[in-house]
Amino acid sequence: MKQTRRDFLRNTGCGLTMTAMATQLQHFGMLNTMAQKAGSKFGSAVPSDYRALVCIFMFGGNDGNNTVIPNHSDANVSGYPAYAAGRSAQGLALAQNTLLPVSVPRIGGLSYGLHPGFGTVTGGINPGLHPLWAQGKMGVVTNVGPLVRPLTRAEYQNNPDWRPRQLFSHSDQTNAHQSARADVVMLSGWGGRISDRTTISANPDRLVPTVSSLGGARLFTVGENTQPVSLGAAPTPLSGILALTGYNGTPVANARLAALETQLDIEQGHDLVHASNEVHREAIRISRSLNDTVEVTVAFPNTELGNQLKQVARMIKARNTLHMNRQIFFCSIDGFDTHTGQIAGQGALLGRMSQAMRSFYDEMTAQGLADKVTQFTMTDFNRTFNPGGSGTNVGSDHAWANHQFIVGGGVLGGDFYGMNTSNGTPFPTLVQNGPDDADSGVARGRWIPTTSVEQYAGTLASWYGLEAADMPFVFPNMVNFPMMNLGFMAS
Amino acid sequence: MKFVFRKSYLVPLVIALLALSAFAQEDPNPDSPTPSLLSSHDRTRILAVNTRGWDGGIPSTGTAAFRPSATNSVTVFVSNLDLMSSEGVNSIQVYLTQRSGKVFELQTEQLIEVAKNVHALQFRIYDPAGYRGQPVPDGDSLINITWRGLTSNSLKIGIGSTGGGIKLPTASDIAPSGKRNQSAELVGYQYAGDRVRFLEQAAFGPSSSEDLRIRRIGLRTWLADQFDKPYPTFAYPNPAQMPTAPPANCSLTTNPTCYRENYTMIPLQKWFFTEAFYGNSQLRHKTAWALGEILVTSGVAIQQSSHAIAYHKILSEGAFGNYRQLLGNVTLSPTMGQYLDMARSTKSNPNENYPREILQLFSIGLFMLNQDGTQQLDQQGHAIDSYNQANINELSKVFTGWTFCNFTCANSGNGIINYKDPMVLVPGNHDLGAKTLLNYPGAQNTVIPACASCSSDEEIKDYANNSLQQALNNIFNHPNVGPFIGKLLIQHLVTSDPSPAYVGRVAAVFNDNGSGVRGDLKSVIKTILLDPEARGNIKTAPRYGKLREPVQLITGLGRIFPAKDYFGEIRSEGAMASYAANLGQDPFNSPTVFNYFSAQFIVPGTSILAPEFDLMNTGNAIKRTNFLHTLIFEGLAANATDSLRGTSLDVSEFIPAAQADPTGNQLLDLLNVRMMHGAMVQAQKDAILTAIQAVPENNPTLRTRTAIYLIAASSQYQIQR
Repeated sequence: MKQTRRDFLRNTGCGLTMTAMATQLQHFGMLNTMAQKAGSKFGSAVPSDYRALVCIFMFGGNDGNNTVIPNHSDANVSGYPAYAAGRSAQGLALAQNTLLPVSVPRIGGLSYGLHPGFGTVTGGINPGLHPLWAQGKMGVVTNVGPLVRPLTRAEYQNNPDWRPRQLFSHSDQTNAHQSARADVVMLSGWGGRISDRTTISANPDRLVPTVSSLGGARLFTVGENTQPVSLGAAPTPLSGILALTGYNGTPVANARLAALETQLDIEQGHDLVHASNEVHREAIRISRSLNDTVEVTVAFPNTELGNQLKQVARMIKARNTLHMNRQIFFCSIDGFDTHTGQIAGQGALLGRMSQAMRSFYDEMTAQGLADKVTQFTMTDFNRTFNPGGSGTNVGSDHAWANHQFIVGGGVLGGDFYGMNTSNGTPFPTLVQNGPDDADSGVARGRWIPTTSVEQYAGTLASWYGLEAADMPFVFPNMVNFPMMNLGFMAS
Repeated sequence: MKFVFRKSYLVPLVIALLALSAFAQEDPNPDSPTPSLLSSHDRTRILAVNTRGWDGGIPSTGTAAFRPSATNSVTVFVSNLDLMSSEGVNSIQVYLTQRSGKVFELQTEQLIEVAKNVHALQFRIYDPAGYRGQPVPDGDSLINITWRGLTSNSLKIGIGSTGGGIKLPTASDIAPSGKRNQSAELVGYQYAGDRVRFLEQAAFGPSSSEDLRIRRIGLRTWLADQFDKPYPTFAYPNPAQMPTAPPANCSLTTNPTCYRENYTMIPLQKWFFTEAFYGNSQLRHKTAWALGEILVTSGVAIQQSSHAIAYHKILSEGAFGNYRQLLGNVTLSPTMGQYLDMARSTKSNPNENYPREILQLFSIGLFMLNQDGTQQLDQQGHAIDSYNQANINELSKVFTGWTFCNFTCANSGNGIINYKDPMVLVPGNHDLGAKTLLNYPGAQNTVIPACASCSSDEEIKDYANNSLQQALNNIFNHPNVGPFIGKLLIQHLVTSDPSPAYVGRVAAVFNDNGSGVRGDLKSVIKTILLDPEARGNIKTAPRYGKLREPVQLITGLGRIFPAKDYFGEIRSEGAMASYAANLGQDPFNSPTVFNYFSAQFIVPGTSILAPEFDLMNTGNAIKRTNFLHTLIFEGLAANATDSLRGTSLDVSEFIPAAQADPTGNQLLDLLNVRMMHGAMVQAQKDAILTAIQAVPENNPTLRTRTAIYLIAASSQYQIQR
């Protein structure tokens, strides 16, 4: 009898034929990986601990200039007066006394301030992310962004060929962050490519793909051989996410289900039909494993991101029954394209983000995994230092290098990380037409990154377990940068 | 433009059409011949030679193996290409499938007629996109070509060497290609499969009444009729514009029904589905929807139907007009002004949002294009940017000073932002300095001089308006606009990955409709829908067609099986938006200006361009199947908030077929024609028949719904092709 994919799936756990084994491996896209590479950091043994990366993508381009703000008056390294000079006239500067102070050892203990949304907020259910700085559980990588190679301002201006492609465009810069490649269009992301090179050794008995997306099959989650599973957010229980309705075990229903699944093997060589069938087959296959009813113990905010992270926390709690040792998750929060109405808009979004990420951190602590799960942020781009509009309409436009947050017990928190800018610190000089501005002439303050997405992502990948030998595969342009690990993660 | 089709098909038609010529235009046979690759003696290996050694004739034997290379040219031979005069090598796509399962689209070079009905086709064993690497020398691979949505036979070609055991596809792997589905009448349009396909492209789905109408009058007459048809069939809702806060007697707390019917997106969403299910002016409704997925605004910014309806009117009124005029109306639309911030852009704070997106998404795109939509490359082989940040800065200045007409227009009201009348200029906010516009081959009037005589408000208004028109003309006349907008419209109406030749034919009509007019959308739409790549009873190319987006998955079924309310009594009120939203497409609430799905989306793990797959993932796949189960078996129940009567499908037309034949074959044959263009393969029929026969014979309704559900849930149906 012909062994169909379905037969195999029903027989998971029984003795596998070689054909079935190949089918499964192909499903998880690991055949090439096997061929290319045997062994990894984990060797032939399954890793003894659990680790997970959780990406929080802020769609629209978060204004980092109003997220991490100088809270000192040292004019040599852009203090609060420089910030206020650029932003207060139009009403975009946050009052200094509303900032949540953080001390930065890397810059001689100078004080910086986080957006007030990172603290307690109206309607909040926890203290937010800010207290985690003092506890050393949260760090910031400053002035990071897509680069093809290190780039000074003069080099930027004189060598258009050295620039990333399509700077300031939402779609392209989002993809540059998610693919960790700024010079060409990539069809895979760095989360997916990490999975390409680690899954076979890390999750040999996995019942779900290594990468889970709470926001569709976004580029970050797709590898050359890796496909993510797309999961709906809470309140849908894990067991309900991929459950087919209408099948109650009667002969009529069973016959219908058999037909439904038989159809999924009919393709006639049509590529689009095949692609659709693949997604459906994968969904049905995974649904047979996602029958856990685990629940979290910490309260999560009932927001889009809160419900996404709650579902991630459940997946992590079910990790043993799913046989997962390494996982990568993608979550997102939308609405950061604040060309106007930024004060209210960004404030609300950062508050929601901080609340959700804090609940997730607390839940990981409750699960005993605080130092095993790391949350990190990415976004399309930073926004112009020079505001657009004024008053309640004030906003900002598309820019470049930004500040990103890493949260977790494995983070060497309480400090800034990244390469120094020309002012000798990792924080950019907040001056339009200044040494870090990509603009010239009527310059609006679009900071040129000093740290590349590759360096930021590579540090996380290394902590996750990606071997140095696999870095060039996951981050082809890493060789162009002086430092592969920024040092913000404990080993 | 005239198609060249095999004349034998036309003979019986001509006489009948002559008699009807007063009111019926001629429709050609939609079926192009199927291209055929010539093989070597063993009939499994392609007849191919290195171009460098080719003598210009048809060789008697081919070369066994070829080196994969960006420079090495290979010549093969194709028969059965019946080319139009405008069709060249860019009408052909060449695919190479290797043992790894990877599929490469090879770089084509030349198409040369070498004998009667035989063309030499030259290409390189090199994939210019290179998304999944390049072909590797691992022995026998398969090669096939596509033309007008039809695939040729597959033949082996040795890459590096021969051997390796790759198998040619067997007959059962390949879609049926023969069945014509012609009805007996010799008038109108007799091709049943293509009528259904046409109504999926030009309308929101194939209703039996429109199908019958096209069978009588043909495609061209139907199109001519649709271009002039009154629109809408069901009047636009006319909710009040919201004051700064809703009135006390119509707020979310005091009167949620009143609030919902006035100050949310629901009235527009319901009206949209009502018009799609039951409206007579389908082509305009469909084109406006496609334009709305290109010139995107979204209720995410302001949750009010009044402004979104005002915007939809611009699209529907402009659907068959000139694109330049549409671009102007969109630019000064207060809805767009709000959404992309032009309404708040001033000379002291110019906003870059609209200037950037009008270029990237509404007109020219990021890269310089050839007229067939492919990217121009520089000498290093890199794409060429079509604009830069300096262009954005300059354009931003042109767009400064425009804002809502809150005081002096017909719909201005006390304390109400006017989302209905076009934006007006506030003279003091307009930048009076010189601006430089886009420079491109053939660009004219690329400088707007500083205003020399701007002393009065009237002079500034004239200057600003003239500057705006000059800038929009500058954008509109960019050579990218035809291929860029043309390809997007093809993707929304017909197929996700059109051949460059198809794009080129549409761009040519965009550039000049035959009367010297550029941007005539009526001619563009007609060209898209009558193109030989759009038409045909059966399409066999492996990447032809598109995934049905959630909205059209719903409307398509609601037109084949007339949508009714939950109780099956009267019309559905069209409360479908929440269901579409659950499948990833919340109508009129696109998450960003990049639409519900990206026009550049590539199916993960492949090189397949398929925008709607942006919404297809494991979670949504199950949701689609579950939604179909509820819709088809149970109906969508009424609820007290937005759907007082719910929605169900009326399948009564199909029940007699289920009653007449206990095997289920009659029912399935009928559904095959109406849902699947008659292209259902035996394996699917067998699977569905088994499920039908498991339902008791005395329940023909359940048998009918079972068959409809299984077809609708199959990828064979969900891919519209």
